Order: sequence, then structure tokens, then C-alpha cells
Amino acid sequence: MQFLAVGKSVIRKEAWEKVTGQAKYTADISSPELLYGVIVTSTCAHGNIKQIDIETARSMPGVRAVITGDYYPILTGSVIKDRPPLASGKVRYYGEPVAVVVADTEAEAAAAALQVKVSYEELPTVNSPAEAIKANAPLLHEFVDQYQKSIPEVYPQANSNVVHHVKIRKGDLNKGWEDAEVVVEGSFTLPMSDHIAMETRNAMAHILSDGKIIIRTSSQAPFPVRKMISEQFGRDLGDVIVHVPLVGGAFGGKASVELEYLAVLASQAVGGRKVIISISREQDIASFPVKIALEARIKLGARRDGTLTAGEYTYLVGTGAYAESGPRMANAMAMSCTGPYKLDNVWCDALCVYTNHTYATAFRGFGHGSMTFAVERMMDKLAAALKMDPVQIRRKNAVKPGDTTPTQVELTESNLGNLQACIDKAETLINWEQGQVQYVGENKILARGVACFWKTSSSPTDALASAVVTFNSDGSANLQVGAVEIGPSTKTTLAQILAEKLSLDISRIHVEMEVDTGHSPHHWKTVASMSTFMVGRAVEEAADDALKQLLSLAAIAMVCAPEDLMVENGRIAYKDNPQEYIEFADIAHGYKHANGSTVGSQVIGRGSFVMPHLSPMDQETGKGKPGPYQTPGAQAVEVELNTADYTYRILKAVTVLDAGRVINPKAAQGLVMGAMSMGLGLATREELVFNQKQELSNTSLRTYKVMHIGQQPEYIVDWVETPNKAGPYGARGLAEHGILGIHAALLNALSKAAGVELDQLPVYAETIWKKVEEGRS
Amino acid sequence: MIPFDFSYYRPDSAGEAVALFQDLDAQGKKPLYYGGGTEIISMGRHNNVDTGAVIDIKSIPECGVQEFQDDSLVIGAGVTLTQIHEANLFPLLAQAGARVADHTTQNKITLGGNMCGSIVYRESLLPLLLTDCEVIIAGPGGNRNAPVNDIFDKQVQLNRGEVILQYRIPKSLVNSPHVHVKRTKSEKISYPLLTICALNSGQQVRFAFSGLCGYPFRSKEMEQALNDTSRPADERADHAISQLPEPMADNLESSAAYRQFVLKGSLVSILNELGG
Repeated sequence: MQFLAVGKSVIRKEAWEKVTGQAKYTADISSPELLYGVIVTSTCAHGNIKQIDIETARSMPGVRAVITGDYYPILTGSVIKDRPPLASGKVRYYGEPVAVVVADTEAEAAAAALQVKVSYEELPTVNSPAEAIKANAPLLHEFVDQYQKSIPEVYPQANSNVVHHVKIRKGDLNKGWEDAEVVVEGSFTLPMSDHIAMETRNAMAHILSDGKIIIRTSSQAPFPVRKMISEQFGRDLGDVIVHVPLVGGAFGGKASVELEYLAVLASQAVGGRKVIISISREQDIASFPVKIALEARIKLGARRDGTLTAGEYTYLVGTGAYAESGPRMANAMAMSCTGPYKLDNVWCDALCVYTNHTYATAFRGFGHGSMTFAVERMMDKLAAALKMDPVQIRRKNAVKPGDTTPTQVELTESNLGNLQACIDKAETLINWEQGQVQYVGENKILARGVACFWKTSSSPTDALASAVVTFNSDGSANLQVGAVEIGPSTKTTLAQILAEKLSLDISRIHVEMEVDTGHSPHHWKTVASMSTFMVGRAVEEAADDALKQLLSLAAIAMVCAPEDLMVENGRIAYKDNPQEYIEFADIAHGYKHANGSTVGSQVIGRGSFVMPHLSPMDQETGKGKPGPYQTPGAQAVEVELNTADYTYRILKAVTVLDAGRVINPKAAQGLVMGAMSMGLGLATREELVFNQKQELSNTSLRTYKVMHIGQQPEYIVDWVETPNKAGPYGARGLAEHGILGIHAALLNALSKAAGVELDQLPVYAETIWKKVEEGRS
Repeated sequence: MIPFDFSYYRPDSAGEAVALFQDLDAQGKKPLYYGGGTEIISMGRHNNVDTGAVIDIKSIPECGVQEFQDDSLVIGAGVTLTQIHEANLFPLLAQAGARVADHTTQNKITLGGNMCGSIVYRESLLPLLLTDCEVIIAGPGGNRNAPVNDIFDKQVQLNRGEVILQYRIPKSLVNSPHVHVKRTKSEKISYPLLTICALNSGQQVRFAFSGLCGYPFRSKEMEQALNDTSRPADERADHAISQLPEPMADNLESSAAYRQFVLKGSLVSILNELGG
């Protein structure tokens, strides 16, 4: 099939704005009426607040208000309402917001913030997920079972730090162990880390005299912001208006409602005046949600030929001091717990637990990356135990149509894709035939590692997306959607889908970049790599709706039945005589007859989409359909290890994924490369380091390290395209997936090269040295 | 955003700078001499700097010099690490400076500032320690000269109100065989797990270190051990390590044990390269 816009590397619609610096982000606004909020944060990781002295701060120049937790005591959270926007009574992590100072200038607010004095009675801390479930662990939340639930499917355990427990019970595990000829076990640890979006979090709010609350925020979730604010402040949904301009990166970190509460409270404290709170990098890391920690234990059973017979998985998900999306990520890990392998006998227990660390929220991959790390290291351990080739064991067990997921969803070619083909391509691209380990010089070992992944979304079963297409009188079209442009060129991809459907040149599609909940059509959230799929479906429907209107107007103009007409290049022509046509321009605002009288009016197409047949996971067995389809893939890394000092250099990183249909190849390639880069950052350097008092030690980019430009290996991205029949033009989500297995591929290679088992992230030269030393003694 | 106000001065002479300092000090302004400003700005953001006035030394003519004069290479305290790297008159210094922070920051950081700031690593100081260079200092009592190893001993040994104008480096040493090693935890641009500068003066190999202890240093005892040609390189390295001036640092960059492993490997390879 020949496409007009789909499959073309279209330059993003906002490219010129971005490269010239004209693009406006949330905080790129100044106005004489604007007041500034600065947050005071906890210096104690777990403690009762004895006293907060705000008197000095309140009397400082320019200060308009100082608020603390008792100003408007509410509890928030998208799964369970356990978190006050400002700490109330006690603090549960270092960096927790305890007060906001509002002043005429940011400098005045910051100066006054330093004068807010808080004293704490320190409490014992919970330092890791494993400590959280110890019998006599200190409790972060004394009455966790009494919190109000935001969704029914969350199962907190009274008198514990366990806020959620999800189970998978599939098949007969005992039979699986009986069938097993080899059993391997492993444990894995992944630390918390940060999103480090280029644009730090910031939000602005004011309250009109009629009570309307107006918010401008850097968010992936304008509609949830509206909903939560409307609930917590007792407003009609329509009386809360949320503007989200371009967002400078988010990676899941802006998918929950956080700073918006503080901005609204700050505005309320100064009589509704406009207040902006712009968060510094240091506070963004320490005070606002980060990536979960994970401690995992896996036990696999297999026959001697490599066939998996049993899998038992325990995932301890450290969500920090508050639950936020942690429980949902526990679900996500459980529902995909086996990795993309056929396994009929599966037990999984995923527990989401509190620790005295910065709380966690979604992070690119939504738990799948952490889970995949553990699973893919296990597959290499199993291969080693069986003396099998790591690629071969994956190929042998790779899921196929007809198999089922851990939640017992039946897999088809359409909803699964073709993992086998991904493995084949990745194997070739990494030159696997040259061997997994090669000695390439004095103290130099070149090693290769592979990993596979799969991911579906774990969206609410009623998550919906909508689109509106309006026509201009010149025949061009405007597209409005509720998805936020957070960086991956989503809006341009959606414009391509519309251009294709309307058979209109992409330059004639105009997309509104900003989301304004006052008039943008609804979209659940810009998360889970789902925007192209969900909004794309809504755009298709809106296009069909518009086309129907255009065709019926054209039929009047051309005196025929709509069925006799076809759409081509922004025109509607007779099917049997394409030389005779009418331009969109002549009917987009109605058809004007020669005598002046007009039929019809502006063409407005509407479309919306909700994922069909989703169902929550059963509390006892996990049975259910949490996501619409899988995106599978295979990854590989080539690394050179120096065995004299254990430093290593990543030379090559490969991702092959089944994209269903690649709508914008270069944009998609960039996304997958970016995701690999982020995953290799997690593998090699990213971690939040807490000291003995559980204070965060690396709150700045001096000490929290990310991959920098110039340090990346050669990135290779390739595609398999097995159409997803439910997706627009067959597309599957792909924005997160490059991150999922790349760390495992690297550690599989390094473990082989160094001859030790590397089962924790990140891996420094020192980590390998220590393992080697342990092995010697 | 720096949440406090301060005055900025840019005097044209050393005398003016010193007089300003005394005056501002008397007013209780807690003045600071200002080189590239990278630390004052970044620490000011966190209110970790307490000053009401900064005195920028970059317009003092002596501070901007970078040239050979008689038997010396003279480098002003206000010359940036980038300028030193580009001129490359003292290759070891050029190399060491080019691994302090990132390039954008190197455009700002000055030789004097890197020595006198508060971040403890001061890696561009190491080549200066190796040359025993002379430091020209202006102060309330006029100018004075002193050997760099006296001016820096664990920390900068200047009297209140004094400012470094220049370094006079023996020309005979700037092209000596040398090695620069910087090892970090993982990232190229980072604080050092260790940095070693070594220079073969003709008589012996001199060593200066950063990252091993709480301050950069050159140790006579370690140099003696490392130059003991009667023993093989790895014994010399072990002996030198036993002479560290204080226990090996154990911090975010590395454990003490791994640091020792890396140090030993680096020393052996430097000895193999520079002889001694």
C-alpha cells in the first residue's frame, strides 16, 4: 500500500519554535502581577514535626503568605489517598515539602524560606524494601488500611508498610517444578533514580473572583489535574481550567498531580492572585516523585532442552514515603512478570511497600524496565546452567500466538507481534555469530549480551481519548487533541494519521500544541506509549466523520451519490472520472451554489476511543486484561571490558522492536535511541544515594550523573512490522520500550566478560572489581 | 537565582583590589575575591556562600598574563583553564585543567580560582605543586613571593585580604616528561576518584595527587618511596601507598579499598612510563 504521510519522516510541527527558542514552556511567562512561591522542605527523613516557626519568614520584605500543612489539610494520591501536599504532623522523607512561602519576587521568597525553622522529633527509618516488610519495621503510615482508596483494586495491609499486594496464580506450580530438570534462582536490586527531565517541574495558579481556578502547569495529565483539583477544592470540573503548553520532557514524572496542589494553595493564601512555583533541579530530585526501587527474587524451572516449566517471582516494589503510582507499577510487573516467554505455571507476588525515601511515580517503562532487568538476567543464568546459548534459549521460549500471558490473556499475531523476528534481526545486528566473548588485546575482552522485552499498558479500563478536526475555508484542517506534546513528536505523528486519512498534505494540517481543558477534547493522560494508539484511533474516527460530511456536501455539489466519489489530494473526485473534482476549500465551510445560496456549514469531525474489553486483575489470581496489546522486542549490547581495572566501554547498542507500523521513522528511531540512552544511564551511573540517616546525598547534577552527549555508543534501531489490527495503520506503542531490556543486555555481556554475576544496578568499575574480589576469597 | 544581594567590583589594579577588600571588610561585607565565579554562583544558589561583595580580579593586568618571561612561564591567577589549554605552554597543566568540570565551566574557571575555591579537588593545582613554582601575592602589606608548596598546605595559606596575582613556573620544567591520570566513578565529567599528575624532573619523578585524601597534596615520603629504584614498581607503589598523609578517602566516588586498587595500578603504570 502506498502512503501519503504514514511511514514518512515528517519534521515535527513545532521544530522551528523549538530550535529558535520561541517555544514557550510553563515558566516562560512573566507578568507584573505574578507572585512567586518557594518550597521549604524537610531535613529529616522520618520524624514528628515538633514545631514550625514561620513568624520571622512572614515578616520579611515582600512576603505575602507562608503556609504549612495545617492551612488546608487534605490527603491526595491517584491510587490511595495517603499524601498531604504539605507534611502534616510528621515527615516521611528527606525533602518532603513542609511549607510554601509566597512573595513578590522569587529572591524574596527564597530568602524568607531560609527563615522557616522546623524542629523534628526523629523516628527510626525504613531504609529499603526488604526492611519495610520485616516483622518489627517502623511504620510509615500507622493506619494505611484506613486511607480512602482512589481506585477499588488496591489492597493495603493493616499495621504494615505494605500498601498493595498483587498476585498471579496461573497453572499448577507444583507440576511445573516436577517437570523441571534444572532449577535456577537469583535476586536482583535496583535503586531509586530520577527522571531528570530537562524542564524541571513548575506550576502556576490563580483563582478568579467567581471561584474558577486557572492552572498552567508542566504536566502529562491536564485532565487528571483538573479532576483532582476540582475534587479537593470543591469546584465543578468546568470551573477548573488547566493549560499545558509544550512540556520539556517528563518520562512519567509529570503524570501525577503534585505541584499543582501547592500552586493552588499558594494562590488561595494570597486571595487568588497568580502564583508560580518553579522547582530547582535540586528540589526536583529530592522532593518530587522519582523512580521506584526494586528488590526481586526469581526461581525458574526448565527441562534440559531449555523449555521453561515453572516460574516463581517476588517483586518488592519500593515506592518511597507515599504510594502515588507504586501500586499500579506492582500490577504492571506482575501482569508481565515472566517476560515474553511461554510459561504455563506461574506464581508471582508483587508487593508495593513504603520506605523513608522520596516517593515514586511512573517512570519510562512503568515498572516493566525493572522487572525485565531481573527476568533477563535470569534467562542468562538459566542458559548458563543448561550450557545453552542465551539467544537460543530465548528463541526457544519466546511467546507465540496461542500462548497466554500471566494474566491469562490469549495472544494472537495482532495483539502480540513477532518476537522471534525481532530476536533474529537483533542477533544479526550485534554479530552474535562472532561469539559472546572475544579476547581482543591485553586485558581487553569484547562481550555481547542480549535481552528481550514485552510491554503493554496498565491503563484504567475506561481510559479514553478524543479528537476534533475543524476545517478552514481554504480546505486546510485543524486538529485538536487532549494529548500533551512532551517531546516525542506525538502531535506530528497524529497529524500524519489525519493527513493520511484525509489524503491531505501534512503541511495543511495544523495541530494545536497547547492543551486547554476548557476546550481541548478529553484525553486520559499522555503516558504509557499509548498516545499514537489511542488518540490515533480517535483521529481516524474524527477524520471519517469529517470525510462523511465532505462527501455528502460534494455529492450535492457534484450531483451524484456520495458512494460515487473518492478523496484524493485534498479534493473529492468522481471515482470513474478523477479529472472532475471539487476542492475541499469549496465545501469545507458549506457549498455555495452559483446563485449564492449555500448548503451545509463548517465541517467538524469528531472522534473518540476507549480501549475495548479491558478488565482489572483478579485479586487472587491476577486474571484479567489490563492492556490492549503487546509491543515485543529484542535488544543487544556490545561492550569492551578492561580486566586490569574493570572499566568498560559500551560500543554498540541494538534495539529491534515490533512497531506494528512505523508512522514516523526518524522520530521513532530517535525515541528508541533516547530510551536506550536512558536505560544505559540507569545501568552505568544513575541512582539516588541515601546516607545512614536516609538523607539524599546526591541532589544535584554534580553528583547525580546521567549519560552525556558524546558518551553514547553506536545506536542501531530496526523494526519488525506485524500489524496491530486495533491500532491506527497497525501501529503499536514504542516510546518507552528501548529502555526496557538494554540494562539487562549490558549486564549479561559484562557478567560473561568478567566471569561474575552482576545482579544489581548501576554497575561501576568498582562493582565488578568487588565481585571479582569476592569470588577470589 | 541567588537569593541575596551583593555588590560587584572590578578594580583595574592590584593595589585598588586590596584596598577595596580592606574597606569592604571593615564595613562587614565579608568580601570575596572573584575569579571565574563558578563556585560563588553555584553555591550562592543554595545560600552556601555568605558575602555582601565580590571583587573581580580579571581586570588586574598581572592576573591576565600568560607568557614566558626570562626563565619562567608566568600565568596570571585570572587566566582561565580554557586559555591555558589552548595556549598549551605547560602541557601537563593544560591537560589537568581540561579535566576539571566541563568545557563551558572551564571557560570560566581561573587558575587562581581553582586553587582558592571551596571544592576540595583543585586539580589544576597539581602541576603547579610539581614545579615548586613561585606565587606572587598582593596584600595589605604590599606584594610578596612564596613557593607554592608553602602557599598550599592542605588548604590555601593566605592572610586575610591577600590575593594571588601570578604563578612563576620554572621554564625548565614545563616540557618535562609527564603523565596525567584522572579516574572517576563512571562519568567523564565528574569529581575524581583519583587524579595523579607525575612529572620527571630529570632527577626524579614527582607526584601530586587529588581525590585520595581531603585535600590535594605532594608527599616527599611517597615520592621517595616511588623513586626507590632498588625495588620493583609494584613494591614501590605499595610502599608509597602506606605513606599516605591521611587515611584513603571513602566517599560517593569510591570506597577506600577500590581507590587503593586503582591507585596502585596507576602508580605502576606511571612508573613504567616515566621510569624513575
